[in-house]
Amino acid sequence: MVRAGAVGTHLPASGWDIFGDLRKMNKRQLYYQVLNFAMIVSSALMIWKGLIVLTGSESPIVVVLSGSMEPAFHRGDLLFLTNFREDPIRAGEIVVFKVEGRDIPIVHRVIKVHEKDNGDIKFLTKGDNNEVDDRGLYKEGQNWLEKKDVVGRARGFLPYVGMVTIIMNDYPKFKYALLAVMGAYVLLKRES
Amino acid sequence: MAAVSAQGGRSGGGGGSSGAGGGPNCGTGSGRSGLLDKWKIDDKPVKIDKWDGSAVKNSLDDSAKKVLLEKYKYVENFGLIDGRLTICTISCFFAIVALIWDYMHPFPESKPVLALCVISYFVMMGILTIYTSYKEKSIFLVAHRKDPTGMDPDDIWQLSSSLKRFDDKYTLKLTFISGRTKQQREAEFTKSIAKFFDHSGTLVMDAYEPEISRLHDSLATERKIK
Repeated sequence: MVRAGAVGTHLPASGWDIFGDLRKMNKRQLYYQVLNFAMIVSSALMIWKGLIVLTGSESPIVVVLSGSMEPAFHRGDLLFLTNFREDPIRAGEIVVFKVEGRDIPIVHRVIKVHEKDNGDIKFLTKGDNNEVDDRGLYKEGQNWLEKKDVVGRARGFLPYVGMVTIIMNDYPKFKYALLAVMGAYVLLKRES
Repeated sequence: MAAVSAQGGRSGGGGGSSGAGGGPNCGTGSGRSGLLDKWKIDDKPVKIDKWDGSAVKNSLDDSAKKVLLEKYKYVENFGLIDGRLTICTISCFFAIVALIWDYMHPFPESKPVLALCVISYFVMMGILTIYTSYKEKSIFLVAHRKDPTGMDPDDIWQLSSSLKRFDDKYTLKLTFISGRTKQQREAEFTKSIAKFFDHSGTLVMDAYEPEISRLHDSLATERKIK
């Protein structure tokens, strides 16, 4: 048949040129491919930052990692948080907090609250499924948590969805491979 | 059909750019350095996956562009495309500013700047959508024909096309805007893509180029008659 000479980087035997689309482009189109990729990344970033601003929490969506809050939340559930300053923290509410020195936030229930007239509070937490309260998890010598340790209060949740995040964190190679493939697809394929 | 027999008639190997503008092609080239020349495949026959709708449309669009630019020697105007690129670049700039600011001043202090950047970003996205829907539409080429006498303003030729998903009917519309009278005339054709591609997915310029020329001449001659 008519094959007017193999062109450059064909994969042998398959005849598939992954850079085929790119080679037919001029400078502007190449720049647009890069921009396209940048815009997808930017959109995701802006949505995340937008959520941060709206909810007032530095991490508005978290994944439950342990079973310490069963039967309310299971490992792999996705939680939506808000952190408005005006909302009081009362016993019985579920909060996500960070202990000083650790970077993984914990989601447990508030069981005791001490409140001063000016609004300062000290509170104690415990996981529903734990035998004892969280004093063992706090910093050395710390017996109470304060408002500044709070990342947010749980407002809603989606079951099971967070398992994807857990799998990707357990197998980071899978995460990078997935991201690389998606990135390559956007960069190399021409948008219509 | 017609396309296949044209394919059979072509000799192998040097088929190369035997399509429209075989002559001008050899000389035009890209005028760039050797390395870029070897990488680009502008002048080789276009072979794509015939079942991939977007690849088919892109190759038809590119070939129509080539005909107008190389055969009729019009000059491409990048204004429309540059507009879109600028809007996208500004949006990404807002995103980068938000990222860096938030990194340098961690969350609660960066709230107003973040809010501003996020809102600006989505406003730019809205502007981009309006721009591509109403200003750019499906136009992929804006070309100028310089007036040989240098006195009148340029005539503008615009190409736009459409190919619906999973459909085989390709519509190409050529619009002519006279520089002098600012009048606008259009001509279009709708044909099945099977008329232009052979069974292996190669675009047969011998079948495609006359269509473009016919569209062009129908708009050009009207002008002369007037």
